[in-house]
Amino acid sequence: MEFTAYQIITPLISFVAIAYAWNLVFKQKKTIWEALLWSVFWGFISVIAIYPNSLDYLTAITGIKDRENAVMVTSLGVLFFIVFYLVIRLENLEQRQTRVIRKLALRDIDKTKK
Amino acid sequence: MKIIAVIPAYNEGTRVGNVVSEVAKYVEKIIVVDDGSTDDTAQIAKKAGAIVLTHIENCGAGAATMTGIDAARMLGAEVVVTLDADEQHSSDDIPALLKPITDKKADMVFANRFGRRNNIPLIRRVFNGLGNIITFAATGKWVSDSQCGFKVFGPKAVSQVDLRMSGYEFCTEIVRESAQHRWRTAEIPAKVLYSEYTLAKGQSFANGVRTALKILLRSFLR
Repeated sequence: MEFTAYQIITPLISFVAIAYAWNLVFKQKKTIWEALLWSVFWGFISVIAIYPNSLDYLTAITGIKDRENAVMVTSLGVLFFIVFYLVIRLENLEQRQTRVIRKLALRDIDKTKK
Repeated sequence: MKIIAVIPAYNEGTRVGNVVSEVAKYVEKIIVVDDGSTDDTAQIAKKAGAIVLTHIENCGAGAATMTGIDAARMLGAEVVVTLDADEQHSSDDIPALLKPITDKKADMVFANRFGRRNNIPLIRRVFNGLGNIITFAATGKWVSDSQCGFKVFGPKAVSQVDLRMSGYEFCTEIVRESAQHRWRTAEIPAKVLYSEYTLAKGQSFANGVRTALKILLRSFLR
């Protein structure tokens, strides 16, 4: 079985992502459950990269047979990712604002202690 | 043990006074976090004897709870009891919830509104069941009433808890924290008093869906 560069690089990236997730578990920043979900996701990506024919089943049930359909689905995926990224960014901004409001509220507790 | 109650409150002027008076029988101090209310919640809570902290803007129940826990830590709390300001919880359940902590059998106690005969509307039961399933999917830990605001944090949990989610998703985040820090947990059946008022203040379906999506996405990307 001959491997293409894609089939070698993708599993390597997956391996790094999985190793990173479990490293976070050891640092107690991620739960074992979250690392398991992450491992399943990246494992799935690797399997598809190494065995592209495994997608035949997906093709059969989704009807993505030609290039046009594939481009359409990929574009939707990219758009979804962009929206998702923006949502996360907005959430981060919201969290920053919340932190400021919480700090202001906690200044009052110092007055209570005095 | 120094026990402090934390009550997040948003526009609960008609209820928070009674809640503070009732809870005061069982704890040393009460912190009410007024989460940007537009009514007289803060003044009434203060009059009832609580320490009141004010968010200048509404941030959500999660943020208000974390502000309260931070304040409790600053005041030297060893045990923190959190409960809602809308009178749905009975303060008479506090001793039962404190017991596993004082007996050193648990680091965190969840009240379970479904653990005893309570008059809970079907729609509430369904939503809470969905909340439990989503919480399990995101954390891998099953809690019978994960979305209940009535909880007790023992010394270990008080020192380690760090909530980052601002809204109602904080209930799921607490379960996540308990799994991450390997807290020993207990569930105690508790009374719930639903009224037209509390039911009207509940979350909408759209808000519930948004909360669920946030939880799942956050748990995946964390």
